[in-house]
Amino acid sequence: MSSKLYKNMKLGFFVSTGMALLILLLYFIGKNRNLFGSNFVLKARFENVQGLKDGNNVRYAGIDVGSVSKIKFINDTVVEVFMNIENKMKKIIRKNALVSIGTDGLVGNKVVNISSIRKQSPLVQENDVLITRKPIDTDDMLRTLFKTNNDIAIIAENLKQTIMQINESTALWNFLKDDFVPKKLHSFVFNLDVASKKTNLILDDAKIAIDKITNGSGTISTLLYDTVLSNDLRNIVKNINNAGSQADELARKINILTNKIDADINQGYGPIHALLKDSTIVHSINRSMNNIEKATDRFNIYMEALKHNFLFRGYFKKIEKNK
Amino acid sequence: MQNSIRSKTFFNEVGNTSKFIGNFFARFLQPPYEIQEIFKQCYIIGYKSLPLVGLTGFIMGLVLTMQLRPFMIDYGVESQLPAIVGIAIIREIGPVITALIFAGKIGSSIGAELGSMKVTEQIDAMEVSGTNPFKYLVISRVLATTLMLPILIILSDAISLYGSYLGVNIKGSISFNFFWTQIFESLEFRDVIPAYIKTYFFGFAVGIIGCYKGYNSNKGTEGVGSSANAAVVVSSVMIFILDLLAVQISDLLGFN
Repeated sequence: MSSKLYKNMKLGFFVSTGMALLILLLYFIGKNRNLFGSNFVLKARFENVQGLKDGNNVRYAGIDVGSVSKIKFINDTVVEVFMNIENKMKKIIRKNALVSIGTDGLVGNKVVNISSIRKQSPLVQENDVLITRKPIDTDDMLRTLFKTNNDIAIIAENLKQTIMQINESTALWNFLKDDFVPKKLHSFVFNLDVASKKTNLILDDAKIAIDKITNGSGTISTLLYDTVLSNDLRNIVKNINNAGSQADELARKINILTNKIDADINQGYGPIHALLKDSTIVHSINRSMNNIEKATDRFNIYMEALKHNFLFRGYFKKIEKNK
Repeated sequence: MQNSIRSKTFFNEVGNTSKFIGNFFARFLQPPYEIQEIFKQCYIIGYKSLPLVGLTGFIMGLVLTMQLRPFMIDYGVESQLPAIVGIAIIREIGPVITALIFAGKIGSSIGAELGSMKVTEQIDAMEVSGTNPFKYLVISRVLATTLMLPILIILSDAISLYGSYLGVNIKGSISFNFFWTQIFESLEFRDVIPAYIKTYFFGFAVGIIGCYKGYNSNKGTEGVGSSANAAVVVSSVMIFILDLLAVQISDLLGFN
């Protein structure tokens, strides 16, 4: 009897384990399909659901929060998608959340993505219709891709031509092959570097000088910043102005004088007029000069005669000795 | 001539089997109920088959995973390995392989047991003694196979999936938790329910064919052997035919 009981127990264990596994299997599948637990319904309306099916997952921020329970036509252009969402999401999803249809991976199942738009809005309630975003259409993508491809082809063609032109240009290649250019370039850069360092030094000096001018008491500083000097300078300038006006007066007087002299020279009877304008005076002077020349010649003869005179010979010899 | 005899024999067999099945359903609900015998048979057929079924299931899961793995890596979908192995085991391989092993073990034992009882005229003796041999021998065994095979298959599936988990972890690395999450994520009721329902038919087929072959065994020890052999062969073929029917029906009902 006990052996029979033992066998029955083993059978019971066997059967219950099998049943438990079956129930677990069904439970987990059901849980994944949101059959158990409390849910609420949200709706979204699309023009095109792109093959979305009942039971596809609904994700909020990338986490599965429910599944599509029903898809039905509202009219000829609008399809309404009913989503069973876990009750706990009532505290998270807001009325302005965006709904879009995406794909799980590249070739995976369709999923409904709910995303927050980060703006304040009240929380969702049962049977709310959420805003939808137009799903990314593969046709549109391909169309854009086609256009991009064409553009790339054109760009590639242009690039090819450019490169061919570059390749064909002997001048450019010669320039590139030339060893002289890089060396020159190198020395140019080196010089530039030196120059820039020197400039830096100069600038430093200039800065120091400016600092000194600003703060110090040198000439430039005094020039630029001393108010007393500026007053003095102003006075000097004023005096110069005065001197200038006096000089004007003087010049005016000189002008009058020269005019008078000029008139005198041209029309007057004074000595200057006689000197400059009277031609008879020139003749008189000439005559006088000739007379003087003749007189001096004669004087020379008389002097020579005097040297040879015995009375004065001793005197002249004495002079030559002293020389 | 030969063909006509063969076809006559075939249709005779089909007719007799149908009659036998009809008998089963006719007497199935009639008292007296051989409860103790049913439990005993359940123990022998179900519990005692578990080690064999578990071993084959484990190896099946492990081998299937290791065989699939290189191709999955080639296609870059290694991460989908648990999902694919899970679906394959739950939907098809688990039920069919387990049912075939079950047919080999239980079909042959029922065929041989009833055949030898028939040959040694124990069935006739039973009838004389007032016990209904059909109820006592056939209904209890058929009920036991019908009820036990689904449980065996569920256990075998679980063991297979565990073998698959080990198989994935031989070269790759995946947490136990994530493995099961992936399997359950990919499974749906339409994968499990038809696969589970068809196992009852498999169990029923193994039991009823084993019993029919044994119950109608020819005289002599040769008859016992041939009835055991026929029980295994016919029930194995029946399992495949039922599998084909099941997939077509579930397809028609939109479960695929």
